[in-house]
Amino acid sequence: MNRFSRQIASYWRQTGAVIRNEMHTIFTDKGVMLVLIFALLIYATAYSLAYGSQVLRNVPIGVVDESRTPASRALIDAFNSGPNVYTAYTPTSMEEAKELFHARKIYGVVYIPADYERCLLGGSQADVAIYCDASYFLMYRQAFQELVTAIGKTGAMVQFQRLIAKGANIPQAQATTQPVIYESHNLFNPYLGYGTFVMPAIIMVIIQQTMLIGIGMIGGTWREFGLYHKLCPPGRRRMSTLPIVVGRALVYALIYAVTCAYVLGVHYRLFHFPMNGDSWTVGLFMSVYMAACIAMGIAVSTLFRYRENSLLLLLWTSIPVLMLSGVSYPREGIPSWLFDFGQLLPSSHGVDGFIRIQTMGASTAEVFREIKWLVILTIVYGGLACIGIHQVIRRELRQRQAAKASGGIPEKQPAK
Amino acid sequence: MPGFLYHTCAVMRREATRLARQPMYLVLMVILPVVSFTFFALLFGQGAIRNIPIAVLDQDNTTLSRKVIQMIDETPTALVAYGIQDMTEGERLMREGKVMAIVLVPPFFEKSILSNTQTHLENYVSGTNITVNGLLSKDIQTAVTTFSAGIQLQLLMKQGLTETQAMAQLMPVRFDKHVLFNPHINYGYYLAPSFMPMMLMIFVVMTTIFAIGTELKNATARDWLQTGGDSIWAALIGKVLPITAVMFLISLVMLVINFKVVGTPLNGSLAVILVGTLLFILSYQSISVLIVALLANLRLSLSIGGGYSVLAFTFSGLTFPIMAMWEPMQWVSRIFPFTFYTDLFVDQMLRGTPWVYSLPDLCYMSLFIVLPLLCVPRLKRVATEEKFWGRL
Repeated sequence: MNRFSRQIASYWRQTGAVIRNEMHTIFTDKGVMLVLIFALLIYATAYSLAYGSQVLRNVPIGVVDESRTPASRALIDAFNSGPNVYTAYTPTSMEEAKELFHARKIYGVVYIPADYERCLLGGSQADVAIYCDASYFLMYRQAFQELVTAIGKTGAMVQFQRLIAKGANIPQAQATTQPVIYESHNLFNPYLGYGTFVMPAIIMVIIQQTMLIGIGMIGGTWREFGLYHKLCPPGRRRMSTLPIVVGRALVYALIYAVTCAYVLGVHYRLFHFPMNGDSWTVGLFMSVYMAACIAMGIAVSTLFRYRENSLLLLLWTSIPVLMLSGVSYPREGIPSWLFDFGQLLPSSHGVDGFIRIQTMGASTAEVFREIKWLVILTIVYGGLACIGIHQVIRRELRQRQAAKASGGIPEKQPAK
Repeated sequence: MPGFLYHTCAVMRREATRLARQPMYLVLMVILPVVSFTFFALLFGQGAIRNIPIAVLDQDNTTLSRKVIQMIDETPTALVAYGIQDMTEGERLMREGKVMAIVLVPPFFEKSILSNTQTHLENYVSGTNITVNGLLSKDIQTAVTTFSAGIQLQLLMKQGLTETQAMAQLMPVRFDKHVLFNPHINYGYYLAPSFMPMMLMIFVVMTTIFAIGTELKNATARDWLQTGGDSIWAALIGKVLPITAVMFLISLVMLVINFKVVGTPLNGSLAVILVGTLLFILSYQSISVLIVALLANLRLSLSIGGGYSVLAFTFSGLTFPIMAMWEPMQWVSRIFPFTFYTDLFVDQMLRGTPWVYSLPDLCYMSLFIVLPLLCVPRLKRVATEEKFWGRL
């Protein structure tokens, strides 16, 4: 028993020393502070500002009106009455429209033929041609949907008037014009704001990536200058890496608890992102997510031999990681083996679960699967972190012994 | 001038051995770029997004209600995965992430249609993912419209109209839809060409900053400058050009993957794309030089340079158009050469724009090459004064 309590006390002291050391490392290193603390705040703000207006309105289009009749002008008015497109130019020919298009002055063209009104009045079908630019997805969607709706409405109006003229009563005419009223409701994000859609995912990915890079930077510095062995009290053998991992993890968790509280509490309110999640559920989920990210961060950090390596090697992964979470690009389009591979990253579960909690208001039970996976990842990466640190310390001690035996090389110190 | 060329070549030779000796260069300039291009080629390999699970609540359970549900199921994007009993169940499925939409067919659906009174059909689509939302809304709407038109046609033909007459009656204004440049609305076509240059750019910035920054970190800057005959221009050009050459070759790999593997069309001029790519690489190298010269610190320069390059994507307007952004943000979007490069790329790749329209983009990118070079005197100071060296 005595030995046991001594062991615990030793762990306790070691953890305390690790925490003090880690705090000192972070808060005396501008580079690490920039990545671990400020990057999340800077990026969250920059992206939110870029997506601040949320929706695309008033896409300029050109209308080539060969008909120039009240009927064709009514159609143009129908285009302008919606929020998404407006007739910016009325070129006289398709050739002219093409030039405007290449100059990026308009993003769609509607061609109304000369016989438009004659066909409508004569009871036959009038043709209208729509040319929509599909090289930008959002542009295409906004412009095209609006044009189709406007044409559909104009057509229904004509049909309705014809039926009434033939002597049908109003309900009959309505039922013939539109037997099934189709109504689409957008849940959780009624105006389909782009920021509301993409920001929760971006924030979760930034948390993971800044942790990986920041922790990797500390790990790389320690390895570059051979400082790892100082975390381990001399002469200790069994399980001595566990307090190191736990102590370091606590420090990162503390820092991110503060920054995340700011982002989820203040930033979210400033930019009006949805906050439908129960705060306990959000807190629980964020803790598990953070644990998984930290464990992965420490595990990966033992691989870097130089201070700058984590940035050089990990920065580019941010966008692939975001893609693998299945948000910007839906998971139904990702090859399944690639998507399964992405499940090794905490962010894939984190993004999915977080969106469902914060935007859709899911309960803990409804995101149980994600929480379960995050716990599994924490354990696996935590184990790898212990093994990694153990290896690094052993190698360092061996090198020092070799150096001592060969006459002693003065220890390198980081220049401050 | 011959002396200048001689010194530049000397620096290039020195640089070539450095590139060969430090494995990090191989990783940054060849391995990781190719890995990242491959990743995006694989990711968008499928191109189309199919079979997104949805739930259906059929409160009518008749031939016609089943018919409309079947038509929804047959659309490319929607897959009826759950038949549910009430809306609570549907909401739970949605919060669990199992379905993206719930379609509700009300009671008396068939009866209303047969008795020629109006009925309705509700679609509740999750707005959490607007890409999925867009696809599902469009396809389900098309299915319901087709169903509805079929009924109208039958009603009108029962009244004794011929099919042509009925069609004219049904749809007085018909539209021919021409989807320009990306007729199948292939996601790969507009996402892959934007992500790959993004990756290229990150590696250009990282390598250039690393190449100059390590000279400072390891205090070899004097040696570098002396090889260049104490001319900072010779030293700089000799250092940067080998990287430009390798990155340009890698960009050719990128273009091959883009046009041959992903299969995006090439409707414009390849020559303009090549010139643009070269200017794109040079402009980001120039900006990297500026960053290192100002900060004189490898790691901090990498952080700032990395942050700057990652931000470019959001502001390029490829996903969220620039014209929808707030006015000040539209100005911010112009501090990234990437914005101009993607404009040019989309123009030449998909739109087949005449090359004249791409000239402004080329000019803007050239500006980004020239302007940052005003910092070269500062770089010379940083490379000669020891107080800037060995900083972390």
